[in-house]
Amino acid sequence: MLSKSAARAFFLSGTLLFSAVFIWLTVDTFQRIPAQTNSDELTESVARGKQIWEENNCMGCHTLLGEGAYYAPELTRVYDRRGPAFIAQMLRDPEAVYPGQRRMVKYDFSEAQIDDMNAFFQWIGRMDLNGFPPEPTIGLAGAAPIPIPGGERPEIFSQVCTACHALGGIGGAIGPALDFVGDRFDRGYLMRWITDPQAVKPGTTMPKLGLTQEQRNEVVIFLSKQREGGL
Amino acid sequence: MKYESQKVAYWFFATCMLLLSLQLVYGFIMAFAHAGYDVLHPWVPFNAARASHNNLLVMWLLAGFMGAAYYIIPDECERPLYWPKLAYVQLIAFVIVGVTAIIGFHFNWWEGRKFLEIPRPLDYLVVVDVLLFVVNIGMTVWKGSKMTTTSIVLFFGLLMAAVLYLPGMIPTDHQTHDAFWRWWVVHLWVEGVWELIMGGILAYLLIRLTGVDREIVEKWLYVIVGFTFLSGILGTGHHYYFIGTPNYWLWIGGIFSALEPLAFLGMAIYGLALARKGGRNHPNRIALFWTVGCCVMSFVGAGFLGMAHTLPQVNLYTHGTLVTAMHGHMAFWGAYAMLVLAIMTYALPQLTGRKLFDTPSAIYAFWSTNIGMTAMTVAFGIAGVAQVYLERRAGMEFLDVQRELQVHFIGLILAATLFTSGIIAFIYNFIRYGWPVGDVEEPVPTGLRAAVPAE
Repeated sequence: MLSKSAARAFFLSGTLLFSAVFIWLTVDTFQRIPAQTNSDELTESVARGKQIWEENNCMGCHTLLGEGAYYAPELTRVYDRRGPAFIAQMLRDPEAVYPGQRRMVKYDFSEAQIDDMNAFFQWIGRMDLNGFPPEPTIGLAGAAPIPIPGGERPEIFSQVCTACHALGGIGGAIGPALDFVGDRFDRGYLMRWITDPQAVKPGTTMPKLGLTQEQRNEVVIFLSKQREGGL
Repeated sequence: MKYESQKVAYWFFATCMLLLSLQLVYGFIMAFAHAGYDVLHPWVPFNAARASHNNLLVMWLLAGFMGAAYYIIPDECERPLYWPKLAYVQLIAFVIVGVTAIIGFHFNWWEGRKFLEIPRPLDYLVVVDVLLFVVNIGMTVWKGSKMTTTSIVLFFGLLMAAVLYLPGMIPTDHQTHDAFWRWWVVHLWVEGVWELIMGGILAYLLIRLTGVDREIVEKWLYVIVGFTFLSGILGTGHHYYFIGTPNYWLWIGGIFSALEPLAFLGMAIYGLALARKGGRNHPNRIALFWTVGCCVMSFVGAGFLGMAHTLPQVNLYTHGTLVTAMHGHMAFWGAYAMLVLAIMTYALPQLTGRKLFDTPSAIYAFWSTNIGMTAMTVAFGIAGVAQVYLERRAGMEFLDVQRELQVHFIGLILAATLFTSGIIAFIYNFIRYGWPVGDVEEPVPTGLRAAVPAE
């Protein structure tokens, strides 16, 4: 039968051995992190972004690299998914972007700080994370895409509009779906609408998006092609 | 109780009760926010509630461990605390630092790193405070007339917990380095050295409550903490899957995490076997309930539910979802909250001199907290799995998924209400015990200990 001294020897030797292996793996990991995370692209702006991220406890609601709280969206790939324009608008006034939805604190960041946040998200988004976050594969995400008129979705449309509106089954359910929206509104109205929604329909929950003239043109042209006969 | 200086434990335990009550308040704030009623948002935004909820948990558990050590170490080493007054100073400093941190969270003063939100200047104060504690305990062990395995394991657990706080303070601009060191603290605490503390406290309780021979209890204590470190140290790898670290962690983390439940299973079998084997009918039956309950629930929460999502193939989808909250709640409850409540339940009759033992309210506290926490875990689990399928697998937008999950948080609030009623019953009992005025036993010469029944 096992004696107490043998049990102690098992404990001590096991702990020492595995601690040594762990420290060795830590050293090895630190040598490999730069290549995997593009450490050379970690600019001062990125570092300032990380600082802002921590000083405001963004992790207290959001996750980044899957770490944090589960109250607000995962932001690892937010730079690709939503783009700098949306991120900036969200940081300027979150409740204007998602009115009546789950609330985020308005932080009064300067434009320079917003640029730093974007730089930080861009750098995070380019890391090799061993397959995280995974691509969705079931339901509509796994099925053949529903055909839409008007060709490919413009990038700015996929990043910004899709946050609330669905088109061809892809996108949020906060605003109405945009299928065949071109049958209902002409270009002039759509342009006035996405430029200043409050001027067209006071009290609407549709936010001002802060897009450039060029981006608005792109979106309006694409939306006006969403006609039932356009397929 | 053998020495006057053990009474300081009472004040640590009273602090636990206070901080635990506050922790529950913040828990409800978050549950209501998740259910769609974030009415306190302008004053207590979710991130403030979350930081307070987590840090209050860590603080009351640490206060509980310190109280346990101040009670157990003199008893085991057969001498009073080396610096009894220092223990009071250290408690007051601990509470001041903790309360300052919690208030600071509400004014956007924090570090914003998961579980280590306490702002940097306060970090240094925590280190100094814990060092005072470790030195006091260390001197008591050193100068004691006996050195038992239980006290040595407990001491090293506390010492290593203090040492492992330091990697979390390494400054870096790199998010991956930041996360890497953060888990050195958090993981190596809860799945490493805190289990030494747990093992030490459990061994003490089992020796006292069951009357099983010390040699047997302590031998298995070594085996179990041996398995804990064997699996837990490299098991840290399950936090290094997706943070920008090499993919060999998927293998290492996956394999060693799969072994982690074995240590907890060992702990559960150990508790159950000793409770059955013990010939003694200790009058404090409810303390044995909490002790054995801790062994079993830590296996379910930390071992089994942890294993349920540490496999890399599963974790790829569950990482950063409510599934983590499901595991986290029962793991901390089973392993550490129940442990502190167990040592409190055991020590209170001695500290206060009142032998209330298993009153109806004490028994209600045990069952309603455990049933309530189990139901909360189920609610988190259902919400978590639904989130995984809708968001990660089917690609629905985050906010759309969250609206679908709101109903599960109503379920969570109901379960949490049952849990809270149990905690209220526990605190009611605590208050009924009254002030720490318990009689100090006549000191027994070391050689005669074996002949005299403990307590």
